[in-house]
Amino acid sequence: MAPIELIAPATEAEVLSAVGSAAPGTVAILAGGTDLLGDLEHGRLRVQRLISLRRLPWRSHAWEAGGLKLGATEPLRQLETDPDLLARLPALHQAITAVGSPALRRQASVGGNLGRAAPASDLTPALLVLDAVVELVGPSGVRTMPVDRFLKASRTTELGATELVRSVRIPELRPASAYLWRRVRPANDISQIGVAVAWSPRRNAWRVSLGGVPPRATLAEDCARALGSATPSAAEIEQAAAVLSGSPALVSDRRATEEYRRRLASALCARAVSAALGRPPEGVP
Amino acid sequence: MSVPLPALTVNGRRLSLEGVPGEERLLDTLRWRLGLRGTKEGCRSGECGACTVLVDGEARLSCLALSQDLEGRSITTIEEVGSEPIGRAVQAAFAEEGALQCGYCTPGFVLALTGLLHERGPSASTEELLRDLGGNLCRCTGYVAIRRAVARARERLA
Repeated sequence: MAPIELIAPATEAEVLSAVGSAAPGTVAILAGGTDLLGDLEHGRLRVQRLISLRRLPWRSHAWEAGGLKLGATEPLRQLETDPDLLARLPALHQAITAVGSPALRRQASVGGNLGRAAPASDLTPALLVLDAVVELVGPSGVRTMPVDRFLKASRTTELGATELVRSVRIPELRPASAYLWRRVRPANDISQIGVAVAWSPRRNAWRVSLGGVPPRATLAEDCARALGSATPSAAEIEQAAAVLSGSPALVSDRRATEEYRRRLASALCARAVSAALGRPPEGVP
Repeated sequence: MSVPLPALTVNGRRLSLEGVPGEERLLDTLRWRLGLRGTKEGCRSGECGACTVLVDGEARLSCLALSQDLEGRSITTIEEVGSEPIGRAVQAAFAEEGALQCGYCTPGFVLALTGLLHERGPSASTEELLRDLGGNLCRCTGYVAIRRAVARARERLA
């Protein structure tokens, strides 16, 4: 097989031109590469050219307009070491630190995680409850859409063939939020389940999501409704946990059985809400 | 005027990237192109930490980095990490505590801990350092001595 050529354009216009002029299926976009490299090595992806985003000015994040803007190629480690992240968006901080080891997180990026639509992503459940919006750039301009619409299924997104994820915006700080997960080994494994919760002051409502379930993380609106107000009672938390454990998204696969996932969903939901509220764990079965 | 050819630096020496395929991983460049076999291949998928090296002083997984994508960066491997003070202290701590059994994971642990100490400074607690070493696996399960080595390295640098 001929070697793959790697190019690293210095501007957005050059990247879009390189992507736009390529024959379909002949190029792949390289952000951190932590997910892409396996597909290349095992022949699941065969391309002639890799287009690296490393030179683009997308390697940044900023607190702006009451929320957070994340450049697509900002390494996860840069985000987690922001001194304000844990207080302002605890669910995002907990989701980021759930991804692999620090060495891996120096390479992995939010844009790569979304663009590759990794099925068991730990970031997706947090981005869902934070109402994150993806910004896409392509030859015909820029468009934005919620993460919930952007991700269609495992490895499938709304991204057009000549489009790139440029940034992700979290519209509101949600200090009352949390992401909890369960897996066999913390730094070397994929989550069997993840539960993210967040209270949105603007919506005056809770957001709850389930991750680690096929085909992708999903919002659990009935569970969020069961939580009710900003300060749910122990009984409301218990009821919401019961609702989540009945979610049809909880199924058996090679990582966990349906029964195990239902028990974990209930326990993690109760603990995540308590954590988001800064209370000691309650309502834990 | 000549355009500089793409290159990276490995242990202080310039390595031209001319002719290196785009899909070649830093791990393979180090081991097979340069003969630096101290960097170990374990899982080749970012799960075991055996291939950890420093890129501009930060611990990174050489199995998940493409050499061409590291153009202009400076790589330090286990062969040279002892030439800088933090790396030397970490190596000494591992030796003094006998923190190895078969030794296969040791270069990765040494580089990962050196990178963490670069990043966090010696004020990081031993517990925090151990948590952040969670991505390094010892399949001999020799973790007790590794824990001692981490504490000792921190004390040496405090």
